[in-house]
Amino acid sequence: MVPLEHVIGLSAILFAIGILGVVVRRNLIVILMSIELMLNATNLAFVGFNRMWPVFGGEPSLDGQVFVLMVITVAAAEVAVGLGIVIALFRNRDSVDVEEASLLKW
Amino acid sequence: MSFPDLNFSVLAPIGFVAVGAMVVLMGEVFLSRARTFLGREITEAWIGSMLALTSIVFLALAIYAAWAAFAAGSSAVFNPDNPMLRLDSFSALVSGVIALASLLSCALAIAYLADLRINHGEFYALVLLATAGMLLMVAAVDLLVVFLGLELMSIPIYVLAGFDRRKLRSNESALKYFVIGSFASAVLLYGMALLYGTAGATSFEAIRAGFDAESPMALIGLGLVVVGFAFKISSVPFHQWTPDVYEGAPSVVTAFMSVTVKIAAFATLMRLLALAFGGLGATLVDVLWVLAALTIFVGNVMAIIQENVKRLLAYSSVAHAGYLLIGFVTGTIEGYTAVLFYLFIYLFMNLGAFGVVVALAHRGQECERVESFAGLARSRPGLAALMTLFMISLAGIPGTAGFIAKFVVFSAAVKAGVIWLTILGVLMSVVSIYYYLRIPVLMYMKEPAEDAEFAEVSSGEALVLGLCAAAVLCFGILPNDLTLPLLGKLRLLDWAQESVKLLLGA
Repeated sequence: MVPLEHVIGLSAILFAIGILGVVVRRNLIVILMSIELMLNATNLAFVGFNRMWPVFGGEPSLDGQVFVLMVITVAAAEVAVGLGIVIALFRNRDSVDVEEASLLKW
Repeated sequence: MSFPDLNFSVLAPIGFVAVGAMVVLMGEVFLSRARTFLGREITEAWIGSMLALTSIVFLALAIYAAWAAFAAGSSAVFNPDNPMLRLDSFSALVSGVIALASLLSCALAIAYLADLRINHGEFYALVLLATAGMLLMVAAVDLLVVFLGLELMSIPIYVLAGFDRRKLRSNESALKYFVIGSFASAVLLYGMALLYGTAGATSFEAIRAGFDAESPMALIGLGLVVVGFAFKISSVPFHQWTPDVYEGAPSVVTAFMSVTVKIAAFATLMRLLALAFGGLGATLVDVLWVLAALTIFVGNVMAIIQENVKRLLAYSSVAHAGYLLIGFVTGTIEGYTAVLFYLFIYLFMNLGAFGVVVALAHRGQECERVESFAGLARSRPGLAALMTLFMISLAGIPGTAGFIAKFVVFSAAVKAGVIWLTILGVLMSVVSIYYYLRIPVLMYMKEPAEDAEFAEVSSGEALVLGLCAAAVLCFGILPNDLTLPLLGKLRLLDWAQESVKLLLGA
């Protein structure tokens, strides 16, 4: 059986890669993917922790797993809206580079 | 296994708003297909106002439901076997206030959307959905519901920020809000995962019982949750999105989100701190202290150099988040009461200030440069007087509600011994007078530009602005015993205190 530390460690690494992607990359699509990666890293942590807490207060508990289902649903909605925004932007400017989104500053 | 004894009355405020969103969404589809309605020709403007009226009706029902729950003073959970949603006097009061802010925003939007030729019915549906999310969030007693409410609030607002989708500035505003907002949600979510890992369940009660201030995992989780909320309440150093998003979004959306998101996020943070983290650990007080000090300082200083009114108001809203955080630093009943009271007053003065900007937009053009307010007192004396009132209230000058709100926060802080932060707050309020009063000075003492034209004020806008101004004046003079013919006695301060006392279990 995979020990819990490995699961949580992997999720932390994935989360860090996601953060790095949002901060470093300039392409909107890649930023969207990085946000998805962060959410999925969280899902992994929830599943891992649920294995640590299969029972809570004397009763079988699935809090972590249920949370994952909700996060997957929300992530789908979020990515749909995100792509919609990217398309609206692309129609007006023919570019998905965030560096060029600089009308509003200071 | 028996079927749980569900209490559907808990869902009443959220339900009215959510059903309203569906009705508006469907109504738009059917009305825009039909050529005539009851024998009269229908126009786009007519559809817009009908949908706005429908949303106002549903929001009024939600306010009524929340008010009834508050007046009954009950504390009911949806599912007693597994409490996730709890409608107690705190969440009922905050829900009512949020629904009121959404209602006023809908009334403000009717003429504005027609003016900017973005009169799509989805606007009202999205406002209602976001409101449903906020009501869900403030009624949550489980991390899962907090997350769902937060996302249900945020996702429609991403869309609303980009609502004027032919304008590049609106696109850019939506983009920035989306990227930073979903990044913040992911950070918050990771914090929730770590808290779940330490406690073993996601309910506030379990987290309170299982929270171990020595365990690094719990502390990192707590830190990430606080950072996630700091993004939403736009506290420095997580505020950079605020001015950009507020400037680029259509003014009416800015008015809506600047008020409601702040109320919902602050109220939820308060509930989290009170119920899940058992008051404040010593570490968290220090963190909040630093956040408050930075937020007050940076918000006020950056506002000085702004040339765009919406940006100026954005930095002012950052500064106000700082004053609100002072109340959190105290951790006392008075402090929390002050935060709640400040949020109510903030609703009226900020919605009013943005409402004036909304009312001045005309023929597809926003009126948002500071200079474009020059000479407004000549051509629109009423609007100029209202703007002056909102500005002096935001600055906290006595006689207005803004003063009472600041007074309540600062006196709670002094009582709790948070002296340095109070001094910084008072000093920075003095600084803020400079940038707030610049606009009245321009309006009354400068000649209007040659080509200046200002829009006619529609009846919806006049109503909203009048109501906000009346509230700012009345609560500024009688904060706690204003008697109105229909509504009875409005005791805002006492209500806030009662609900906070119940929340903290004192």
